[in-house]
Amino acid sequence: MKLRRAILCLLAGLIVAASAVVCMPGSNYARQDRDATLASASVSHPAGTDALGRDRLVRVAAAFLLSLAGAVAASALTTAAAAGVGTLAAFGRSAMGWTLMLVCDVFLALPWMFLLMMVRSALPLTTSPGRSATITFLVLAALGWPASARAVYRGVLELKRSDWMLYARATGLNGGSVVRHIIPNLFPLLVPQFLISIPAFVMAEANLGALGLGVGEPLPSWGGMLFELNNSPLLMQTRWVYFPVILLVLVLLLLEGAAAEA
Amino acid sequence: MKRGVLVLGWLGRTLLIVLLVILGSTILMRFAPGYLSDAREMDSRYAVEARAELSAEAERSRSIPQMVIAEIRGWAHGDFGTSRQFEVPVSELIAPRVAVSGGLLLRGIGLAWVVALCAALIASAGRNPSVFWQTPATIVLAIPTAALATFCLLADRGGPVLVMALLLAARDFKFLDHTLRKAWLEPHVLQARAQGIGPWRVVVAHLAPALAPRLGALASLSVVTALSALVPVEVIFNVPGLGQLAWNAALNRDLPVLLGVMVLMAVAVTCTGMGSARTEEWKSA
Repeated sequence: MKLRRAILCLLAGLIVAASAVVCMPGSNYARQDRDATLASASVSHPAGTDALGRDRLVRVAAAFLLSLAGAVAASALTTAAAAGVGTLAAFGRSAMGWTLMLVCDVFLALPWMFLLMMVRSALPLTTSPGRSATITFLVLAALGWPASARAVYRGVLELKRSDWMLYARATGLNGGSVVRHIIPNLFPLLVPQFLISIPAFVMAEANLGALGLGVGEPLPSWGGMLFELNNSPLLMQTRWVYFPVILLVLVLLLLEGAAAEA
Repeated sequence: MKRGVLVLGWLGRTLLIVLLVILGSTILMRFAPGYLSDAREMDSRYAVEARAELSAEAERSRSIPQMVIAEIRGWAHGDFGTSRQFEVPVSELIAPRVAVSGGLLLRGIGLAWVVALCAALIASAGRNPSVFWQTPATIVLAIPTAALATFCLLADRGGPVLVMALLLAARDFKFLDHTLRKAWLEPHVLQARAQGIGPWRVVVAHLAPALAPRLGALASLSVVTALSALVPVEVIFNVPGLGQLAWNAALNRDLPVLLGVMVLMAVAVTCTGMGSARTEEWKSA
């Protein structure tokens, strides 16, 4: 419990710090300082600048907030979809349950990375950075629900067979009321599913961006910053290129720690 | 007889899933907003030619059922359409790369299993929760594959197999450690240890049989993880495999190639997943 509190405090601290950096007067993730490209840490640029002279600290802070907000939203969508599909499959007719689980199998058979790449490459050439970010996280949400839905389905089936449920149905509780009683009992299952999905989505976005297929420039993203690592001459000039990677690993460890503690 | 029915059911479900994957991917691809667009349209030298090709493509893909039938027929004949980028049959692009990616996957998975199994056996036999072993595994899993591969490349230490094996070993270790920890606490294992039977004998006689049915699930987990890591690893280490082909196709909007690779991957995942799900059913049949 203490560890969980410490992790949540650290995460909250990082969010506050990142928000402060992004909201600071004059900070703009897209503003270029052409006299200071690939600069090392200084008073005006505490984490240096990238190859286009943009402040790395502001970009990392914005990427952190964007990625976290996107992953949390996608995770919420995934969990809601999983809860709906799992409950429907468990309480519906057996044919419906079979069909829904088959749909889950179809989605689980599609490797994430390949489907993401396919959807991302099938976007119009003129897609704006904001839209590309929204689509990336929406696709992640659309692909992430089947595994959670299977877990929810198993959980609801267990609840359906429980004594109190048998008693409730025997006393004539109708379908709607039964589901209303089921949902609060599903929270211990849904909360970990929600928390597990967040680091998975952050990681997926980072990997996709590192291949040049993630969130479009000039919007900052973890993946876009990992993409910088492919530029070997740039790595020779400044060690600050590694700063986003270190922070990303720290954030992922914290998010995974929070999920494990739940 | 019962086993035969199970095998038939398994094959039927696998086939149905593969057909649904082809159907879903084709529809997704056809209705994608950028399906009928080409980067060459932006270059006045190639724009006219590109637009003519896209018009022909629009005409061909007007009917979704015909498109799906053509796709399935192509798969049945081993010809998965024509690459937009290279203008050669997709099968010609995929075939030589299957061996490259397959070899990488097999070596990576094999090495990862050996490392994970050895580490899990040592870690699970200890009294305390294996923080010493779990921490490195957690850290490795928190590093994006692309970053891990880039670090290895920059440090000139290890290649694609090592990166793949590291990633898989970390995930497999978590699974095996959890399974073995439970197995060590089984009453018959505790009894055997209390009677003074050596640890090696306990592992061979009691833990290995308990672990065997879970190997299918482990294989499934390994294949899914490895396929996700395939693209960044092959792209960063410049391995001419399926992952690099798919990445190149994605950058150049070569959707037939991307569709071909994706369906192939879906077949691999489905067969492994189904295999692992059915292992226990067959044992109890």
